[in-house]
Amino acid sequence: MLFKFVEHKQWYFLASGLIIVPGLIFLLLGGLKPGIEFRGGTLLDVRFATAPPVAEVHEIFVKLGHPEATVLVAEGERLQVRTTTLLPDDIAAAQKALQEKYANVKDLQSNSVSASFSAELIQNAVQSIALASILIVLLIAFAFRSFGWSAFRYGIAAIVALIHDAAVVLGLFAILGYFFNIEVDSLFVTAVLTIIGFSVHDTIVVFDRIRENLRLNPGEALNPVINFSIMQTLARSVITSLTVVLTLLALYSFGGFSIRNFALALLVGIVSGTYSSIFNASQVISLWQELEDRLRGRSAARATA
Amino acid sequence: MSRLFPWFVALIALFAVFVDIPKHQVSFPFNCPGICLKIGGFSYDEEIKTHLGLDLQGGTQLVLRLRTDQLPSKTDTSLADLNTQARRVIDRRINSLGVSEPVIQSLGDDKILLELPGVSDILQAQEIATRQAFLEFKVPDKDKPGQFKSLEPPLTGANLKPTFVTFGGQTSNQPVINFEFGAPDDARWVQLSKDFFRQQVQITLDGRQVSAPQITSEFQTGKGIIEGSFTPQSARDLSLLLNSGALPVPLEVIQSTRVEPTLGRDSVNRSLVAGAIGLLLVAIFMIVYYRLPGVIAVIALFYYTALTYALFRLVPVTLTLAGVAGFILSIGMAVDANVLTFERLKEELRAGKSLRVAVEEGRKRAFPSIFYSNLSTILTAAILFQFGAGTVKGFALTLGIGVAVSFFTAVVVTQMLLHGAIEFTSFRRRRLYGVEERVPDPVRDARAPAAT
Repeated sequence: MLFKFVEHKQWYFLASGLIIVPGLIFLLLGGLKPGIEFRGGTLLDVRFATAPPVAEVHEIFVKLGHPEATVLVAEGERLQVRTTTLLPDDIAAAQKALQEKYANVKDLQSNSVSASFSAELIQNAVQSIALASILIVLLIAFAFRSFGWSAFRYGIAAIVALIHDAAVVLGLFAILGYFFNIEVDSLFVTAVLTIIGFSVHDTIVVFDRIRENLRLNPGEALNPVINFSIMQTLARSVITSLTVVLTLLALYSFGGFSIRNFALALLVGIVSGTYSSIFNASQVISLWQELEDRLRGRSAARATA
Repeated sequence: MSRLFPWFVALIALFAVFVDIPKHQVSFPFNCPGICLKIGGFSYDEEIKTHLGLDLQGGTQLVLRLRTDQLPSKTDTSLADLNTQARRVIDRRINSLGVSEPVIQSLGDDKILLELPGVSDILQAQEIATRQAFLEFKVPDKDKPGQFKSLEPPLTGANLKPTFVTFGGQTSNQPVINFEFGAPDDARWVQLSKDFFRQQVQITLDGRQVSAPQITSEFQTGKGIIEGSFTPQSARDLSLLLNSGALPVPLEVIQSTRVEPTLGRDSVNRSLVAGAIGLLLVAIFMIVYYRLPGVIAVIALFYYTALTYALFRLVPVTLTLAGVAGFILSIGMAVDANVLTFERLKEELRAGKSLRVAVEEGRKRAFPSIFYSNLSTILTAAILFQFGAGTVKGFALTLGIGVAVSFFTAVVVTQMLLHGAIEFTSFRRRRLYGVEERVPDPVRDARAPAAT
């Protein structure tokens, strides 16, 4: 018995919508918090044996002439201090002040980005995502060139799946940013790009099967072929996803806090990528075909009338 | 496949393992004291080691921008040339300090990325990168008594020969810096001593006065000394600074990152544990699920890990935290090509084909999927490499190399092992491939469209 992957597509689209829409709402609410790299400013990450009170540390920064400093408690007896962009002299001064006041400062890391440079970094991130998307459409169009112009249909369906996965991850981090102040940095952009690559990777495998089955069964209607192709690639999709998820779970659990959000973004993106390649990508092709058939049917009916 | 081919594959494996063996005290990932091999003969003792990024070994990273707005207006040097000159100057300064494995790259024409592993003093890093070290000799201004003005054109330190420190100024046993002008400035220096005999001249560094000596004799050569209130250390520092040359353009720090070495080491250990656990989980899963092909895939996976890591050490790829993550992620992805092949193999076997035919068919049919899907990941990695900086570049490089190597291991190594395995009668049982032992059923097979 065949599972009805295509016939029930509206439900799969709905399920995606239910996950994506809340994320988009938080995205519009400004939930996605840009990190230091994209906003400009300075982040001091100070690790103590035992973290001192936040207000006390804030007081130090007020005395140094930075009343705008915000101090947050972070995992592992750390405090994160965010200020406007500090020059190396100011950073050294802050480090000295902290070490004089607290003997138990274990280490201090700083990251400082000027506003002009952060604007450039944002531009780079946007450019690279756009360029990746364009190249992927072309790659798929090339891979499926035997279909003629409808090759682009496959390219666009892959892009829909890709946007789906990017939206899921962006939405998740908008929600996390809204409630837990989790920020996005260039590692996050890297994660999104990797997810995009993986999503297409997955989608291509399914599309390649559809192509093969269409060639082997000329004259067969599209929907049953899609159903059958998804069925045939299902085991592979799930297993590959599972192996990647296993490695990412290891990374998430044992990789330490500096890499945890990165692993989380990848984890969610890859699960989403597997879902979209099974339940969304081919369904878009099927929907497109159905709409086209309906339009053709109508114009044909008009022609005979 | 040629008969020699398996030997070739085995040779690569041996070489990879050789490269992977730690040969250095704090070699990543094994802390292995003692073993210190060098490859090649006496003359070629290239050290093979893993290059750790700043975030894994601690230090300071700066992104600098060329302040072209502060450039003298009549310069005709291009921005790219200024960038190269500035990088050379910084490189010389760092070399004189003995920082190991610094990174000095241009980020576009107007920016420079500077990584100083082991330098945890951010002020020192800034000093290295932004101190202009612009030495100028000024003469008394006739219109404004007590002030100094530049010569026309300015007499600068641009043509100085290497300077050195000696002890023994004219007054006491003070450290002084000895300099000598090269042509054509040596003639100007001699001329200056004639023009301003018995007058004070001023030696300035970055606009500030270092000393203002009286000219007491007419010079015969381009030689001279700089006296000042130097300590032996500060005199040596200034001498080194002058020898490295002046920055052709002022630089400003637009990004600074300081990473503690302790935290970096912690990250290395943690991600190593994560990688090992990830590898183990994937290996167990593959063997349980795919049986004999699973074992082959795991062998290919270890082959993959050894070869990729060897490439990282040889190229060399500087491993950052993100890079290690990319490597670990690529372990998961490396399995994919095997999964694609084995799923095909199972299908072909279920369709009633003989093992030999099924292995061959599985390879052929899985190939387009493997090829195009890997290409899409490599494409993304290439874009990341092109646009990203620092950490992102590291991730892109490790992911890209990882996927390329996994393509090789899945398409070549797995296939070779699979073809080899089916030569043994005891490895021919269908059950070993996760398929039921039964005769093919023509009715069932006819229904499957893929069965041709």
